[in-house]
Amino acid sequence: MDLDVAVLGTGLTESIVAAALSKAGYKVGHLDANPYYGADDASLSVDELVQWADERTKCDAEFSPYISRQRERFTDISYSGTVPAQSRQYALSLCPTIVPSVGPLIDSLIASGVSRYGGFKLLERVALYESPGVAKPVPGNKEDIFKDKQLSLLHKRRLMRFLMFAGGEFEDKPELQGHEQTPFPTFLKEKFSLDDTAVRAIAYAIAFCASTSDPTLPALHRIRRYLRSTGRYGPSPFLFGHYGGIGEIAQGFCRTAAVAGATYVLGRQVISTQVVEAPPEGSRKYRVTIDELSEHIECDVLISSADYTSLLPSRPLAVSNMSVSSPGDYPVARCIAILDCPLAFTGLVAATEPAEDPEIQDSGTSPDPQSATVDTAVLVFPPGTVSDGSQSTAVHVLVTGEGSVSAPGGKWVIYLSMPLLDEEMKAQTPEQLLRPYLNAALTITLPHAAEDRLEPLFMLFYKQHPTTVLMPSDDESPPLLPDPSIPLYLPEMADSSVHVAEATFWRAIEQLKAADVIDSFWPPLDVVEEEDEW
Amino acid sequence: HGVKRVRYSKEALEAKRQREQSKLKEYLALNDDILARKKNRDYSQEAFELSTRMLRINPEFITVWNYRRDMFLGEIFPKRYVSSSDVNDLLTEDLNLTTALLKQHPKVYSIWNHRRWCLEYVPDGPSEEDPHGWRTANWNKELFVVEKMLEGDSRNFHAWNYRRYILASMPVRRSEQSELVYTKRKIEANFSNFSAWHQRSKVLASLWEKNELDPVKSREAEFDLVKNAMYTDPGDQSVWIYHRWLIGEGNDAALLDREISSIQELLDEQPDSKWCMESIAYYKNILLQKHSAKLSEGEQREVAASCVKLFDELQLVDPERKQRYVELCKDPPIS
Repeated sequence: MDLDVAVLGTGLTESIVAAALSKAGYKVGHLDANPYYGADDASLSVDELVQWADERTKCDAEFSPYISRQRERFTDISYSGTVPAQSRQYALSLCPTIVPSVGPLIDSLIASGVSRYGGFKLLERVALYESPGVAKPVPGNKEDIFKDKQLSLLHKRRLMRFLMFAGGEFEDKPELQGHEQTPFPTFLKEKFSLDDTAVRAIAYAIAFCASTSDPTLPALHRIRRYLRSTGRYGPSPFLFGHYGGIGEIAQGFCRTAAVAGATYVLGRQVISTQVVEAPPEGSRKYRVTIDELSEHIECDVLISSADYTSLLPSRPLAVSNMSVSSPGDYPVARCIAILDCPLAFTGLVAATEPAEDPEIQDSGTSPDPQSATVDTAVLVFPPGTVSDGSQSTAVHVLVTGEGSVSAPGGKWVIYLSMPLLDEEMKAQTPEQLLRPYLNAALTITLPHAAEDRLEPLFMLFYKQHPTTVLMPSDDESPPLLPDPSIPLYLPEMADSSVHVAEATFWRAIEQLKAADVIDSFWPPLDVVEEEDEW
Repeated sequence: HGVKRVRYSKEALEAKRQREQSKLKEYLALNDDILARKKNRDYSQEAFELSTRMLRINPEFITVWNYRRDMFLGEIFPKRYVSSSDVNDLLTEDLNLTTALLKQHPKVYSIWNHRRWCLEYVPDGPSEEDPHGWRTANWNKELFVVEKMLEGDSRNFHAWNYRRYILASMPVRRSEQSELVYTKRKIEANFSNFSAWHQRSKVLASLWEKNELDPVKSREAEFDLVKNAMYTDPGDQSVWIYHRWLIGEGNDAALLDREISSIQELLDEQPDSKWCMESIAYYKNILLQKHSAKLSEGEQREVAASCVKLFDELQLVDPERKQRYVELCKDPPIS
């Protein structure tokens, strides 16, 4: 098969590149050793997740190069509980993340046409854990702050003042000068006279900081991006994709690539990739050999995710996200659990007033305990709020249910993520690290009889490790490796992927010697959408 | 705002242009046809359907709305076989049509007019015992529609006006208390909403007059509400206007003092707030005008001097309105 580009791995970044190159007119072959799309970003049913875990834990005599890599990437895997009968109605994400309504991913979804393939659920709330049973929703905009009965007038003013600052052009403002690298909580206290509660809410639930030492300038940039995302689709800045989030989106990009002519090969191992001299002029090409496929792929450009680098003929050139200064690569402890009870942010009920006259027939709804339950929301544990937890790192929990078509009715999926920023944390198992947080999260549910302690129906723990990237060899046209770094911040993964995908796209265009022909990442859309039909 | 424009190919844009050209031709043909029929007083079913078609495309075409109403009154309603139940059905259908149109054109006067016309022509029914049944059903639906519109755009003054019209016209009136709750919800959702505050002031005034609500307690609650809004966003003009309405004539010196201190606290926290400055100056002036008996000569001079200082600062903080502050300083307003 004579192609222009071969892409190994169908993770989000690689799928975006494959789609962009296909739509630009190039012949793309897209491969994945897994029988599903998405690779490390995939959405899996419970059965598939169990199989995923087993493949990476069982002791076999021989592993394919892909599985060997995976076993280095995902360690300390353990699971317990029963696989629910409706396993296929679950879409569990290996990379839980929320997507800002304004940003590169949404732009790419619209520009590529992939937005037509899937739906999204708007995040309902972000809440801050305070103590067992107590989680207070975080005010994210003027309306929330105005209505909050627990904030004093002075604190409302200071909080608003900060939000106005963070939403505007703060780069040259005097408050920031010299403090770009100051730990963000310190900056908030000193420059905006904010109290501890406000500092926690802003740093960990609005900026999604990972630790007490996160620097100020990147945090302000994140806040500004999220503030600008409010209101586009609703009060929250964030979206969660249907069917497990990112995995379905990656699949959408693959679909659009296929429609533009890309060839897909799933579920087969890549045996080898070599550099060959191909006819007619003896030009230099890559040859990819696939298990049980007699035909080779020959292509000019080879793009590979980190899972296949052992098969590459030379060291690849890593393409990274230039728009963010890298905070470094850290392992992450993760947990995926299934609950049959929703989370309830009861702080919501306390904060709003009852109707002025209880007899009123009002077309609106009055707050009651039921309305405090959430379907798709984020619960944030600032450092030091959980005994047996971390004093310096925050843990972000994402919960979602039927609303995002990720679970059947009456069930919810909860994801916990904790970056491991120091050696002490790195030495513990994910269960040791996350179990206290899971227990704390389980107290944030509807009040129920104290005797029945809520237990998840199913739980999976694992650790995800960053890949070490080596210096590239001196090739003229090396294979390209979209940078596999694990983003530290819950809402950043998708936009970060797009930045890397676009950078990889342009490198590939360079290698295809088409830099003066192709002038944009996505080609113009084919059809102008009709606004009114008569 | 930070949202990129989508790019379309030349072919896509050309295809769109072609579609638009044919649409234009169709419209012009329809326009000529319908105006000719109107001239000839064509009140046939065909003409009626053409008017529906035209109004869906161009609901601002007042002539065609008039034509349609002429058809109802001149031809359709007077027919012997048309019962009052039929009339109700026809009007309900037209109300549905206007609802659909309002979704896309929420501020077109002629659509609102046609709605009012339909509502006024709903006949007595469904029965002798229940002559208001149809009307009540329609009016309730109206309220629902206007609330949906206000959810879409809570500052649409057409909708607010219409809401007052509905509340006044309903055969079975809603309580004013419920209206209070409604305005509070709208204000909480976004207090930069003159219409909502205005409606609230109207309802409160009426409730206080009828003594259905304790004015003292209620006023305090309002001050609390408005103070929360002030502190959340001191730049929002609607809040300050409402505050001024609450103060009213300014006959309560203790209240004036209290509010002045409260606003001063906000000014201390937010020194660049022009509304704080102007309001303090305004209220201090009322103190001087109406309550000078309570102040010594020295105190009066102090208050007057602080006002002048405020107006000077206002000229710096809000230079675009410099002359206004110069004038206010010379000739302070009395409430």
